[in-house]
Amino acid sequence: MSRKLLETEGPKWVAQGIITAEQQQRLTALYPEEGRVVGLLPLLGSLLVGLSALSLIAANWQGLPELVRLLLLLGSMGGAYAAGEYFLRRGANDSLGIGLVGLGLILFGAGIVLTSQMYQLIGYDVTGLLAWAAAGAALTFLYQSRFLFALTVCIGGIVQGYSTGQLSGFSYFTAALTVGGLGWYWWRRPDAVLGGVLASGILWQAGLLISFLHAKITWFFIPAMLVYAAGDWQPDRPAGRALQAPPLVAAFLFTFGLALYGETDTYAGLLRPPLLAYLSALLAVLALSAAGKRARGRLGSLTDWLLLLPGFYLPSGLALAVATLVVLYAYSGAVLWRAQQEHNPDRITLGITLFILTTMAAYFKLTWAFMDKSLFFLCGGALLLGLSWYLRRAAARALPPKSE
Amino acid sequence: MATPLPLARRHRLVLLAVAVQALFIIGVAAAGYATTAWGRTITLRTAPVDPRDLLYGDYVRLHYTISQLPRRLWRETNREARPNEPVYVVLQPAHGAYEALGVYASKPAIEPRQAVLRGWITNSWRHGLRIRYGLERYYVPEGEGRKLEKRPVLLVKVSIAPWGQARITAVNALAK
Repeated sequence: MSRKLLETEGPKWVAQGIITAEQQQRLTALYPEEGRVVGLLPLLGSLLVGLSALSLIAANWQGLPELVRLLLLLGSMGGAYAAGEYFLRRGANDSLGIGLVGLGLILFGAGIVLTSQMYQLIGYDVTGLLAWAAAGAALTFLYQSRFLFALTVCIGGIVQGYSTGQLSGFSYFTAALTVGGLGWYWWRRPDAVLGGVLASGILWQAGLLISFLHAKITWFFIPAMLVYAAGDWQPDRPAGRALQAPPLVAAFLFTFGLALYGETDTYAGLLRPPLLAYLSALLAVLALSAAGKRARGRLGSLTDWLLLLPGFYLPSGLALAVATLVVLYAYSGAVLWRAQQEHNPDRITLGITLFILTTMAAYFKLTWAFMDKSLFFLCGGALLLGLSWYLRRAAARALPPKSE
Repeated sequence: MATPLPLARRHRLVLLAVAVQALFIIGVAAAGYATTAWGRTITLRTAPVDPRDLLYGDYVRLHYTISQLPRRLWRETNREARPNEPVYVVLQPAHGAYEALGVYASKPAIEPRQAVLRGWITNSWRHGLRIRYGLERYYVPEGEGRKLEKRPVLLVKVSIAPWGQARITAVNALAK
């Protein structure tokens, strides 16, 4: 509840006799006016001064003696950390404090890069930047901060991208730091937002690994579904669900792409790993996931695995497209069905969206070739409008009437 | 689930973490000095380029005579060079600068007068290989860029440390 809401809605509540005028005043008094605008001015001022100092240094960087440059890098990093610690100790402005610690971490990375540039050093391996990710992980544990956690996931992604892109090597250490270090942190302190961030970071690195190994891209779903299975074992339900969202999005997009483009034979070679190896790996992950679902009493969500049916082993052609569409319908239907069971309006909206997307793909796939184009768009539009109207009505009926 | 660290303990650990980071940056600088101190200096010649293309902001872009090599220097007999593959290039002095003798996928044994430079294949085709050494950018001290820009061929002094680290120590215009 904010002061603004009380000020705008309060008089209405008084008029309707919900609260008295005196109660309204007492409520308003609970939320004193914050000196936000006034507090912002010095911040903006110091930001401008800082920017001018930064541009002055940047303009003369090459002309400064090496020692001065080194001291500037170390000083700004140490200063940011010290200022952050100062604000955190005072306890008055924690987010500013953590923000400054994050700035210190970024300046550490900049310091590594600029120092090696200063001495014209060539990076043959990723050790220098790995230290950056390790520092981020250490600070995340020390401050137990969500901001530093997300920042470190990003740093890990950058380091891995640099390693595979520039140095032609996958940094298994960075991957282990992200999965083991940050993963362990998240496991102990489950959090929905961080679950999504962590899973996205891990999937990014898994994708880089697959491309680095020149493996068939479908191998990506083994690490991705391992992340998903970890979400099954997580006791905190919202956090676990958030960890599972990125792998599910990836699987849905892949299946969707398969439905749209799978019937041409061009991609088939990229998608088919050795049948026995892939299937046994996938089944092992499935067993792990199912055991987790059983242990936490969520066997109903086993329908998520529909998206992992390896339809790409089928001979390409219309049959594959149709089979994939059936899978997509089954999946979005399952999402809708479970959402109605749980009376969860957000999930119902999600299910409706997936259902409509699938219908669009199916319609596009099955009618484009033999229908007049204007008729195609007219029928398609009518189909979508009708479908969304029907699904929304069904959703409204499924939800319990609002009690307020 | 987990409790935050006691303030005093966190303060000590943060101090330690920041000190380690500062030491790391100093270590990077020390690696620069060590590479020059213990390294062996070789001279590389740049390939002639359009001098107007040379200067990019605060660094010059260098193309060496060893940046593009004939295919016959690829010494791995059983397979082709892959793009992005890390390689070792054996160099030998010839006419005042070091020139390439062979390109290997793993570190080869060399004679005392030879040197090894690490690099990455950026491109390979039927007749040649293009190799990136990480030495293609030279961050010029203030004002020196214009001077270098006028010369089509440069001599670049590179220090190679016994542990493989390399760095440019000087860029000179070729005396005519």
